[in-house]
Amino acid sequence: MKWLETNQIILVTKLEYAIETHGLKKYFGKIHAVDGIDLRIPKGSLYGVLGPNGAGKSTAIRMLSTILYPTDGSATVLGYDLRNERNKIKKLIGVCPQELVVYPRLTARENIHLIAQMHGIAKKDYKERTDELLGKMNLLNRADSLSKTYSGGMKRRLNVLMAVIHEPELLFFDEPTAGLDPQSRRVVWDFIKSFQERKSTIILTTHSMEEADDLSDKLTIFDHGKIIATGTPQELKGRLGEGDNIEFKVANPEMRENIIERVKTLDFVRGGKHLGKQRIVLNALGGLRRISEIMDSVKVEMYDISVRENTLEDVFIDLTGRRLRN
Amino acid sequence: MNSTFTITENTNRIWFLLIKNLKSMIRDKAQLVWLLGYPTLFIALFAFAYGSDVFAIMGPGLLITGPVVIISQLTSHFAEEKELGTLQRLTTTPVSRETILLSGLASQLVVGAIQIVVLLILASLFGASFHPDGNVVILFLIPFLVTFTSLGFGLILASFIKNASSAGGLAWFVILPLQFLGGSFMEEPIIDFLPTSLAVEAMKEVMVFGNMTFEAIGLNLILIALWGIAGIALGITLFQRKTAIL
Repeated sequence: MKWLETNQIILVTKLEYAIETHGLKKYFGKIHAVDGIDLRIPKGSLYGVLGPNGAGKSTAIRMLSTILYPTDGSATVLGYDLRNERNKIKKLIGVCPQELVVYPRLTARENIHLIAQMHGIAKKDYKERTDELLGKMNLLNRADSLSKTYSGGMKRRLNVLMAVIHEPELLFFDEPTAGLDPQSRRVVWDFIKSFQERKSTIILTTHSMEEADDLSDKLTIFDHGKIIATGTPQELKGRLGEGDNIEFKVANPEMRENIIERVKTLDFVRGGKHLGKQRIVLNALGGLRRISEIMDSVKVEMYDISVRENTLEDVFIDLTGRRLRN
Repeated sequence: MNSTFTITENTNRIWFLLIKNLKSMIRDKAQLVWLLGYPTLFIALFAFAYGSDVFAIMGPGLLITGPVVIISQLTSHFAEEKELGTLQRLTTTPVSRETILLSGLASQLVVGAIQIVVLLILASLFGASFHPDGNVVILFLIPFLVTFTSLGFGLILASFIKNASSAGGLAWFVILPLQFLGGSFMEEPIIDFLPTSLAVEAMKEVMVFGNMTFEAIGLNLILIALWGIAGIALGITLFQRKTAIL
């Protein structure tokens, strides 16, 4: 026991980060799935994790959600050590896996109740809360049907609800809207946002750039088991310059390289100038006239012209390339 | 078990998982057919083909066919949990792996007990005669010990099989030899030391001769129980290793 001096004051600092990792690694034999990542995820944030297939993002999430043990490195989750305090972590997290992990011969209500029971929630509380959640996800009218009779979208929404019934402090959503129609996707997005308003920290893995852009406060992009970029969606898009993207098709595809070389000489292409939003359009239009002049000079017709702002997808492709991953 | 989980919490979790397992089983018609339909079919076919006198010779063996089917049930149960990802999902909640295993085994024991009662009733409806000195509790206990032993075989198989569809089929490579070599469909067992052989012999002593002395059945019951304990211990070790968090 440690005796305190009468004039000693102990201050307990507020936990700033929900997750902190230092050189976290996961190797499967010779495969370095996660190769030494340093992450700091602020408490209460909605943190997006992007990356091509096989980049290591799911393995990282699986480690942080106690499904896998790290090979090396250290991490704390909600202040608890990932190696030695896993059971304390399990009580505070909710995991929505990428796959549709529901019991097919249980009803939606029974599936949700089971997870609540595993967390030791009182019957009265989980029964009330289950109905509230089912209503939010538009599943209440089918709550007592076996989940094997559900459509893929309904199972996906149930998959989400099973992760949140115990109101966890930290939520892991691994591609929660994969395969959902636009309406259902919006419902899930709003649902996820509502948890952030309750001060939960949310880790969101997704392949949808729109989802990541719309939901995330901050993003991390993985590739080859490492973190290759971190920032707010705006900061990441800013990496490509502040201007617009001008896209068009050419009638003579064999001339593409030649055209690109000529267009690249124009001063406004990737100029990195600080342009206001209004002027971007004007400049782009002005740029279009000059691009058109180049096309005329090489006698190539251009069509399907569009002008748009940088997207996260542009950033993603720029950082990770176009090559398919195994 | 982990010290952070209290005994009450774990008991509650085992109970909730047990109920979940039983609901899932009852709602799966294919499982019910195998569990009750298959042994019932054998009893009915033998009664139809040879008359009720056949039970004096074959009855003990036929009553052991049912408990062995539990091997397939348990293998499919855990293989399905692995295939669906529900086993992994549960491990992200504050439930220990031992609790999940215990609940899986307990639910099969409950189903096995119901199966034995149903088969005993069916056998007597089809004309099987039970010796008046034979105790019904012992008649229940012997096949129930085989159910217990089947859990070990099922768990060992479940450690290696990853999907429910192959689990059901592969389990029969263990079930059928146990039934045939153990004398379920014959007058005498072919191999004496199998749990099914030991059970068939003990059932015969009680059901046909009304002999329940320790000399007659005691050693058999102990040996069947030892088969079960060894099988379950090996099964738990293998299952924990094969599904361990890496």
